[in-house]
Amino acid sequence: MNYLYYLYIQFLAKYHLPEAIGMITFPLLPFIIVAVVLIVMVIFLVLLERKVLAIFTQRKGPNRVGPWGLFQTIADAIKLLIKENITPVGAEKFMFTLAPLLAFIPVMAIWGLIPFSAEFDFISYSVGALLFMTIASIPILAILLAGYASNNKYSLLGSMRSVAQAISYELPFVFVLVAVVVLASSMNLGQIVLAQTSVYPFCGWFIFPSFLGFLIVFICALAELNRCPFDLPEAESELVSGYNTEYSGMRFAFFFLAEYAMMFIMCAFIATLFLGGYLSPFGFYLSTKIFGNGHLGQILVYFEQVFWIFLKTFFLIFCMMWVRATLPRLKSNQLMGFAWKVLLPASLLNLLFVCLYKYFLFAK
Amino acid sequence: MIKKITKSFEYIVALVLGHLTVLKHIFKKPVTLEYPEKKAVLNENFRGEHALVTDSGGNLLCTACGTCQRVCPSFGTIEIEKDKNESGKFYPKNYSIDLNKCIFCGNCVNYCPFGAIVMTKEYELSNQKKSSLILDINTLKSNYSDSIIEKKEK
Amino acid sequence: MPNSNQLMKINIGPQHPSTHGVLRLVLELDGEFIRSCEPIIGYLHRGMEKMAENRTYLQYLPTVDRVDYLSGFFYASAFCDAVEYLAQIEVNKSVKYIRVLTMEMNRLASHLLWLGTFMLDLGATTPLFYCFRDREVILSLFESLTGQRLMYNYYTFGGVKHAIPSDWLDKTAEFVNSMPSKIQDYENIITKNPIFVSRTKGIGVITKKSALQYSITGPNLRASGVNLDYRKQKPYLIYNELEFDSITAENGDSFDRYKVRVEEMRVCLKIISQCVDWLKSNQGEVVSAIKQPLLKVPAGEYISNVEAPRGLCSCYLKSDGTNMPYRVKWRTGSYYAVQILPKLLEDNLYPDLMAIFGSLDVILPEVDR
Repeated sequence: MNYLYYLYIQFLAKYHLPEAIGMITFPLLPFIIVAVVLIVMVIFLVLLERKVLAIFTQRKGPNRVGPWGLFQTIADAIKLLIKENITPVGAEKFMFTLAPLLAFIPVMAIWGLIPFSAEFDFISYSVGALLFMTIASIPILAILLAGYASNNKYSLLGSMRSVAQAISYELPFVFVLVAVVVLASSMNLGQIVLAQTSVYPFCGWFIFPSFLGFLIVFICALAELNRCPFDLPEAESELVSGYNTEYSGMRFAFFFLAEYAMMFIMCAFIATLFLGGYLSPFGFYLSTKIFGNGHLGQILVYFEQVFWIFLKTFFLIFCMMWVRATLPRLKSNQLMGFAWKVLLPASLLNLLFVCLYKYFLFAK
Repeated sequence: MIKKITKSFEYIVALVLGHLTVLKHIFKKPVTLEYPEKKAVLNENFRGEHALVTDSGGNLLCTACGTCQRVCPSFGTIEIEKDKNESGKFYPKNYSIDLNKCIFCGNCVNYCPFGAIVMTKEYELSNQKKSSLILDINTLKSNYSDSIIEKKEK
Repeated sequence: MPNSNQLMKINIGPQHPSTHGVLRLVLELDGEFIRSCEPIIGYLHRGMEKMAENRTYLQYLPTVDRVDYLSGFFYASAFCDAVEYLAQIEVNKSVKYIRVLTMEMNRLASHLLWLGTFMLDLGATTPLFYCFRDREVILSLFESLTGQRLMYNYYTFGGVKHAIPSDWLDKTAEFVNSMPSKIQDYENIITKNPIFVSRTKGIGVITKKSALQYSITGPNLRASGVNLDYRKQKPYLIYNELEFDSITAENGDSFDRYKVRVEEMRVCLKIISQCVDWLKSNQGEVVSAIKQPLLKVPAGEYISNVEAPRGLCSCYLKSDGTNMPYRVKWRTGSYYAVQILPKLLEDNLYPDLMAIFGSLDVILPEVDR
């Protein structure tokens, strides 16, 4: 951050603007960038999901609205905006309105924690990983609020089932996170990424010592996001109703968009933990090879690192859509049984294995 | 215990195989037909809109015998008004098919003794008024001449 | 929260997001368990049997396809069989082969649609598109043969309406060669999938005794262990000259019903290739010679049976010597499957409703007629 701040001050000095302006506006830049990128990313992801699911079934996705269907999400958003916002009789007005916001806002807060490159590490806390898990649990509260505030006993049942599912699948996630922290000797997300550098191209990535952990985290992320095969709370033909039955218009859109934003940030988190974050799989950066080690090369390295983390995130998003296309839904008792009887012991096993690996590797 | 482990191993193999089977469909061409820019190729027997056949002199082959009325499953679809022309031959003064009631079964085409009615390949028949779906004799004649022109173009 | 003494009555209305047609189920739930179920039918009643009393035989024949629109050839075959028996019309062998060929292709199309919608109910969305892609090929073959994709009106008394196009048999043979790998694809995605297996094994068991008591027929019965296939027990048309197996399974749960239908798809392919080979080497006249619009059928009554994809289909025809039937009655397989549904749903969880109902392969037009 310091290097960019220095460049920014020099840029301002060229136009004879005082340094105080730089000091005030510079911290705002990350927020603006995050907000813009988040919204663009969510719009893009909704379309991407439909296109990817179509490719898996030998079809073309939406391609009428705009070239390659790029404006499809905007058309959907406009449709949802012009619908009436119905609040059911007897619902708790304050909580009813609060729930969709509570589902969407924590996701924006988490974006700052992930290191997108060595310089774009906006909020660098020493307990970054733990803070991520904490803030990522707030949307679960939003689901509970939505179900309770709807004044509809089926919504309440649906939301309680969804909350039970989300809580049960957080435990294996946290245990695998502990294993990663053991491997990296730090909870700071930037440090976790740096601990994955190695002499050979990608041997240092944490996916290799704890492949089982990677699978467990992937499955738990699917369950946290209420995606197939864990989307029982959202299914129409299964349940009588879900937690978002009484929502219409823009409030429904918030839940919907929050799911996609959360999907992106979860995949970015998994990429940071296991796939080496912003590190290049080649060991060197193409920018330095092409542009040399000067000014331009240094700045381009940061953007190239952003490119690498985005590539890994989109690969994981593709895998999530691939799983959605293939598997049927799990039943409610199977969901809970799978989390407690299979994933939790497996995550503890993974922790044991990682501790042994670290001990024997570093005891020399 | 061993059985459980082998069973779970089998399940994992099945899951991976299922995923790979779905993945290989990415590399196949999409089967979408982009209607209305591209239309499906229809075959000769296709049962679309009706047309009354005229011979080279422009006269209808239909003699208003009423067989098509007698084999049509829905009552009141075909209405014929018979008349005799100068040379003593019967011809239909008015012939109308009500597409609101027609089920496009093709019985009228199959059982006509003179081959005087055919079904063309026209299937885009939606309209905004029910009355425009009642085909009268002039529409049926022009359907036939349109279909002849289309055949010649091909 | 619901009291466990009180039962919640919910209505799964005639319109649902799943694709089973207009069936209304009134369920009484106790928490997650279904305590009782009452199916209410009749939303698709069209008066198919009453229509026959006012129409001549030739006028009634096109409407017979619509009793079950997914397997139109079977119902047309049952009706034509009954009329041909009473009017003593001879049908030559080529006609019988072409009828069996089209019926088996229709069975394949119907099972493909069942598989796609069953998977959609359980939550997997891709097998639906794969099944429809394969079904498209069958429907375009039917379109080049008969003129329509779903309401064929191809059979008539004494034969069929027009001759087979010249390259149709080659295209059918090509299709038959490409299908086995696709059925293997479906098996790879579905059969050993642990989620699917645990959702359908042991769910909705129809015992042998209750299947016979409720007059269940077709794949539902054969999955419970009773080897009753009308193509083998009372061969009609030329089924006695073809080589094929009738598939049974032991347990009678949803997984077995799925297994039986997928194997039946393979049996269909075998029969189709035998028929195509015979038709290629024997050119016979298939177009019917009977052209009189007011065909008079001598008085009498007859029941003709065919093995439709959803069970036994019987057509009872009573004629009184005029050119209009006196009474036509249809006995269809799905009606009895809806009858056994309340018994199967008792004391099962609510999410099992779709796993059970989807595996029974119920089509509402057949139930309501």
